[in-house]
Amino acid sequence: MANQERIDPQYETIQALLGGFLATRKEATPAAGHIEQDTIAAFVEGNLSEREAGPVISHMADCGFCRNVSAELIRLDAAFAETPATIKETASEPGKISEVLSGLFAKIFGTSDGAVFAHHEEEKKDKQEDSDEEKK
Amino acid sequence: MLRYNVRAMKEGDSQITEIIAAAGPSIGELYACCKENAPNFSCSEEQFRVSIERSLAKFCQSADTAPTAEEVNAFIGQLQADDLLMAIACSNGCERAWWEFDQQHRPYLERVARHLAKTEVDAQDVIDTVYVELYGTRVVDGERISKFATYSGRGSIRGWLRTVVWHSLVDLHRSSPDEVSLDEMTENVGEGAAHAAFLAGVDDGELEAVDQLAEKRYRKATIESLSAAFASLEPHERLLLLYYHVENLKLREIARLLENEDSPLRGWFQRKSQTRDSGGRTHESTVMRWLEKCYARVLENFSNELSTTQGLSREESAICMELATRDLGSGDLFAKLSAT
Repeated sequence: MANQERIDPQYETIQALLGGFLATRKEATPAAGHIEQDTIAAFVEGNLSEREAGPVISHMADCGFCRNVSAELIRLDAAFAETPATIKETASEPGKISEVLSGLFAKIFGTSDGAVFAHHEEEKKDKQEDSDEEKK
Repeated sequence: MLRYNVRAMKEGDSQITEIIAAAGPSIGELYACCKENAPNFSCSEEQFRVSIERSLAKFCQSADTAPTAEEVNAFIGQLQADDLLMAIACSNGCERAWWEFDQQHRPYLERVARHLAKTEVDAQDVIDTVYVELYGTRVVDGERISKFATYSGRGSIRGWLRTVVWHSLVDLHRSSPDEVSLDEMTENVGEGAAHAAFLAGVDDGELEAVDQLAEKRYRKATIESLSAAFASLEPHERLLLLYYHVENLKLREIARLLENEDSPLRGWFQRKSQTRDSGGRTHESTVMRWLEKCYARVLENFSNELSTTQGLSREESAICMELATRDLGSGDLFAKLSAT
């Protein structure tokens, strides 16, 4: 359903014409590709400076895909602002990411060996770094 | 990824190198501050520095002139540095950073997924996929590629997570057995799903044969003039109209986008109207005023196009408007226009 909010009557015809035209025209995807997710997120939060936002706004005026992503994020932002989330009680013990990921990998690939192996390598490195810090 | 057309400052330019070198001490201070807040996160100063320098280089390239020292300082000052440190540490596989991330952001991530997905199964799939992506399963040159590596700290980590979830949902639809187009994908996620009925065809058989040629010509002139009038607007004006008419954002939702006092969209509109708000909230009425200014510009350009480019007399232009109004009343103007 299109926006039906009140607009000055003198623009009603051109508004209706423009609304119909914009909704029915086909947009081509710009050859330059799409905006990085990180940049869209920063734009929606109003965190881009004017020099950064200029090319982003020009791109979104021509690219339906990126504009649609940004619009969904704006809508989501507004919806969440209106209904704040209840604070979830958190576990008192740190959950091991290796356990979480093992479960996920097992679910997706049927085995968790690779993930646990890869993660343990990092974990060993962490422990080594921690121990180095303590020595200092 | 987007590569801007205007790029007087090339990557590797000595000017960029100088700007980055001058920012070195500020980046070092920022790292020390973040490390004090999260001493157990495994992220080296070098990794932190490289990430910020990459963003800074992009910042320099985003316009055709070099940024001033104040702009660079503001850029560094606005970075969500603590979130960035956490993201780099998570990317490194740091257990403590992951735990912190999970505690702080998992409930939010789940909420976003459930809000956007159509079913609980889809939401759960997306949550799992996002976690796997965040950890990273792809290994390049012996290094695991984590999605966290794409976070630059320009916006909040939650804002970034929202886009990651959204894209993950689009990918989920894309990988479904039925092949769907890009448009269909975006229309299947979130509110877009409710606005998919754009192009309903209408039979134009009611036109009287004797008027068909003339009406066809006027309709063609109308659509071409409207298209040119819209194209002549500045990008921020076009974006505002597209958000309202195509994305169907409500005035209050657009107002939220413009609420940040530093928002460039807000700045542009205020400069255009030569009035500055006292700050704080942008109201729906302000957005409506900006929309009305856009309509006024479209109307003016549209009339000029009809008379100059299309060469229509005042009477003929009036016929165009009459026809358009009549067709709008019956809801079939654009079906008729698309048939021209």
